[in-house]
Amino acid sequence: MMGRLRTLTRRTFLIGSAAVAGGVVFGTYLAKRPVKNPLLTDLQQGEAAITPYVKIDSSGVTLITPRADKGQGAYSLQAQLIAEELDIDPASANLSPGLPGPAYYNGTVMEESVPFPAYNQGAMAETVRRFMHVPAKLLAMQITGGSSTVPDSFVKLRMAGAIARETLKEAAAQQSGIARDQLSTENGFVVLPDGTRLPYTELATPAAGIEPVTDVELRSKSDWKSLGKPMQRIDMPAKCTGTEQYGIDLQIEGMVHAAVRANPGLGAAVESYDATAAESMRGVQKVLPIENGVAVVADNTWRAWRAVDAIDIQWAAGPYPASTDEIFAKIEKVINNEAHRDHRQRDEGDVESALEDGDIFEAQYKVPYLAHAPMEPMNAIVKVTDDQCEIWTGTQIPLFVRDHAAALTGLDKENVFVYVQPIGGSFGHKLEDTHVLQAVEIAMALKGTAVKLVWSREEDMTHDYLRPGAVAIGRGKVADSKVDTFDLSVAQSALLPDWFGRLMKINIPGPDATITTGSWDQPFDIPNYRVTGYRAPTMVPISSWRSVGASGNGFFHDSLLDELIHKAGADPLAERIRLCLDDTSRKVLEKAGEISDWNGPSISENRGRGVAFCLSFGVPTAVVTEVTNTDSGIKIDKVYVVVDVGDVLDPVNLEAQVFGGVIFGMAHAMNCETTFENHAAQQNNYHAFEGMRLYQVPEFEVVALSNAGKIRGIGEPGVPPAAPSLGNAIFAATGRRIRELPFNKQIDFV
Amino acid sequence: MKPTYFHKSVMVALPLFSAIAITSVIAADDKIEINPPAADSISKAQGLEAWSRIYEVTSHPRCANCHTGPSDRPMWSGPSYGKTREHGMNIQAGASRIGAETILCSTCHTTKSHDWENANTTNHAAPRVAMSWSLAPVEAHWFGRTTQQICEQLRNPETNGGRDMLEIAEHLNHDLILHWAWSPGANREPAPYSLQEHVNDILMWGVASTPCPED
Amino acid sequence: MEITVNNTSYTIDAEPEMPLLWVLRDELGITGPKYGCGIAQCGACTVHVNGYAVRSCQLAIGDLGNSQVTTIEGLGTTQSLHSVQQAWIENQVAQCGYCQSGQIMQAASLLSTNPDPTDDQIDAAMSGNLCRCGTYPRIRAAVKAAAKKLQEV
Repeated sequence: MMGRLRTLTRRTFLIGSAAVAGGVVFGTYLAKRPVKNPLLTDLQQGEAAITPYVKIDSSGVTLITPRADKGQGAYSLQAQLIAEELDIDPASANLSPGLPGPAYYNGTVMEESVPFPAYNQGAMAETVRRFMHVPAKLLAMQITGGSSTVPDSFVKLRMAGAIARETLKEAAAQQSGIARDQLSTENGFVVLPDGTRLPYTELATPAAGIEPVTDVELRSKSDWKSLGKPMQRIDMPAKCTGTEQYGIDLQIEGMVHAAVRANPGLGAAVESYDATAAESMRGVQKVLPIENGVAVVADNTWRAWRAVDAIDIQWAAGPYPASTDEIFAKIEKVINNEAHRDHRQRDEGDVESALEDGDIFEAQYKVPYLAHAPMEPMNAIVKVTDDQCEIWTGTQIPLFVRDHAAALTGLDKENVFVYVQPIGGSFGHKLEDTHVLQAVEIAMALKGTAVKLVWSREEDMTHDYLRPGAVAIGRGKVADSKVDTFDLSVAQSALLPDWFGRLMKINIPGPDATITTGSWDQPFDIPNYRVTGYRAPTMVPISSWRSVGASGNGFFHDSLLDELIHKAGADPLAERIRLCLDDTSRKVLEKAGEISDWNGPSISENRGRGVAFCLSFGVPTAVVTEVTNTDSGIKIDKVYVVVDVGDVLDPVNLEAQVFGGVIFGMAHAMNCETTFENHAAQQNNYHAFEGMRLYQVPEFEVVALSNAGKIRGIGEPGVPPAAPSLGNAIFAATGRRIRELPFNKQIDFV
Repeated sequence: MKPTYFHKSVMVALPLFSAIAITSVIAADDKIEINPPAADSISKAQGLEAWSRIYEVTSHPRCANCHTGPSDRPMWSGPSYGKTREHGMNIQAGASRIGAETILCSTCHTTKSHDWENANTTNHAAPRVAMSWSLAPVEAHWFGRTTQQICEQLRNPETNGGRDMLEIAEHLNHDLILHWAWSPGANREPAPYSLQEHVNDILMWGVASTPCPED
Repeated sequence: MEITVNNTSYTIDAEPEMPLLWVLRDELGITGPKYGCGIAQCGACTVHVNGYAVRSCQLAIGDLGNSQVTTIEGLGTTQSLHSVQQAWIENQVAQCGYCQSGQIMQAASLLSTNPDPTDDQIDAAMSGNLCRCGTYPRIRAAVKAAAKKLQEV
């Protein structure tokens, strides 16, 4: 078994080449296996099948970037990784997400579920992490998420670029009779010693006819030309001229427009409906029932929405408690109830004895359910014929979309084509495909016609798979001005079983790590230190939301720690540094102190600053927030953030992801929650889910350190410490400790 | 300190946006009868009663939220906002009272001339009427003010736009933002009484020689 | 019904109450203006009407009259960028980019009436445009950079 596992993990980096019409592709070589290949439709009979990263033909170089771009710059960075070794200007290449393929599986995304904290990089922990690539591979998890694009692609894509480069050089060597090691490459050309420049496009066909050169060495960091230096994102000009085409913008010949109204009681059925009024409205072509809802097909999105509003629908009740109060009552019921204990991955010292007597601190914390609410609402275009199903949509899970559409239409998976589109924000929203399957249902009723389904904002926000609400009880004790005992219990519904059950129809046995991710795994050494997860029943459907488990746990863990530090009378930063057991993390905290002048003169009256720390997705992140307590509420003045991602590939985009993540975390902590009444989500548009507006945005100072041994992704780590840092700053400025999010239920913001 | 471009931009903004508004059509049932009671037919006590109803209207959030003072900031009330708060999005109407210095009210509160009946049917959308949206003039500062303060403002021609009571009634007839206050649509709570009743009260109060509670 | 968008006239057959946004997107295929909320809460649909920013989801086509509509496509192109777009690219503002058409149109409208806005005025003018990715710090920087560019022209 171990041998087979090793083979499977090693195959991650097997890159080969194959001929395609007029050129060559380089990618993951799978010729000895039954071929499930995205290039299948392009390939001629007898040609080798390969899952490509680089395609070169007479029309130019195409870089295939299989991880979805939902705003984090993934397309650009994937292209830069290939280009760094291939020696081309990625802005001059075609970029394509390619067709989904199992070889694009994401091994790294599962690493976060291992029972080792990220700072533990010992042999055992690393071995188990490598093995997490195996289920990802076997389950064909082509997923974008978990801040995994960079770590998963870092070697793979550069290797693809390097093999392509060396193979092109070999083709040039054979053509010119000059040894390969005498040749160099520059911006899309192989350069001969006499300066003759042979374009890659002309070498593509000969390169396809030779064995690929696979014994390549990746360039060392000091030789990087683009990586590690400030970059211009390739998608930037299109996004600043209105020409970036998102899924919602795509137009397919002859397409019709659909709207749906599904039961706001999530997962419950339609009892009856009357569409008489809707059917006679202008532009309406068809009204039809779909799973748990009703759809309208019309000649224009707005007309379809108006018609769907005019349908009188009787709903069955949602299969979970009707109100937020009832839902949280169920969560509170399981906390510290050992019959519902899910896991206890941290238990150091003797918490039970320490908390038997003395001055024991105890407090309860709470975070709400939250919608993802990206700016681009869910949408998909689907065309179904007797032979095939085509799907155009922005998604993080293209293979799941394909498989679900195949099951629904009864077509073979090979005849379902998913064309992934640029995504106008996700935050985890597009890890779900209910909207796509609704569009498939509608398209099945209109065979041969492309159907574009766009959810209204209201449909989107009331049919989300939410960030789970959670409750925590923190207890602790201090001794000699130090934190001595830290005991955190967290209760929420289990997230991964919910998601895997829905998307993959598999039962995930065992504990759900997400209940305590971001709290059990923090790099601190406290004499008595315990974190326990309790599993609440499955209620409203839940899913991953930017930073997943750490989004709530970051708040719980650091708020409790801050309270205990204040109780001990210690300095919030100094005590965190003293307790920190991981060098990389400690340096992050120290740097945060340095750039925020933490030990300098204290900040003035009515102001306060808070520090918070969270290690998530392997990235230690410290946030120092300064606020002023004004007459009209809390004003966030300045935020300092320090992260350590190992090598920084693009400092410009890194900074954007860091302050974007912190703003995302703070914005929701300020004023966002999704509550339920009569089984329905109450916040259906941005008027009730406002987030942060420009005037509320503080100044930012972001520093990225490179002490960590492993390269990391940075889309999510800014989120978890944002809320506690703000809460700790509010406490410092006002003396009020707010233990429940959003803060604006108890305090005003400017 | 006001930058000098300010006056120019107001001058530019006003004609352009009122150009769209000129075609305004008011639905028939919005027509107001202006029939003042006979001179001396209203006692001071009756006038004060009328005033107390007028104050209910002028202090109601539907009206007072756009009759704010030198903050130049509109206010928001209603079930989705919790307590009354400043208009979201950091909206400042400025000294122009139409947002000319930063963002025009009409950016979101578009001018709805056509199909006035259905102008405001979408919940939580920006209300719109058949004229340019704006704050009331700063002299008509009602938000957070006492009954006496508002009363004195309204009866003083220097702070009421130089109007007598008949002219105030006429003004009520023609100001369409004000009409909207009684038919705000989209499940919003209208101003108290009806526009006709409010006009009648103004006329009664006028005939009673505009008494104020602390006179 | 005739409407003029980006200096081109179009004949439209649509209900007068149809929002300009959906006329642009679904009837004319002009997709730079984005749908985000439909209730003037996000600003992603912002266009210029006679040079001023307007939320196109709130303007009924029947109320447009003879006004000139400009969308992000008409503001500037990759070959010929408006100063605001240039500043946006130089400051690497966009992340998902979905709100940026509206942000840019709002900023261009602000700078056309107020070429040298103060920080407070920028915060007032731009706070109706929501960005969920949190690109705000660079929006602020780009508006200031664009103001500078426009003054140099």
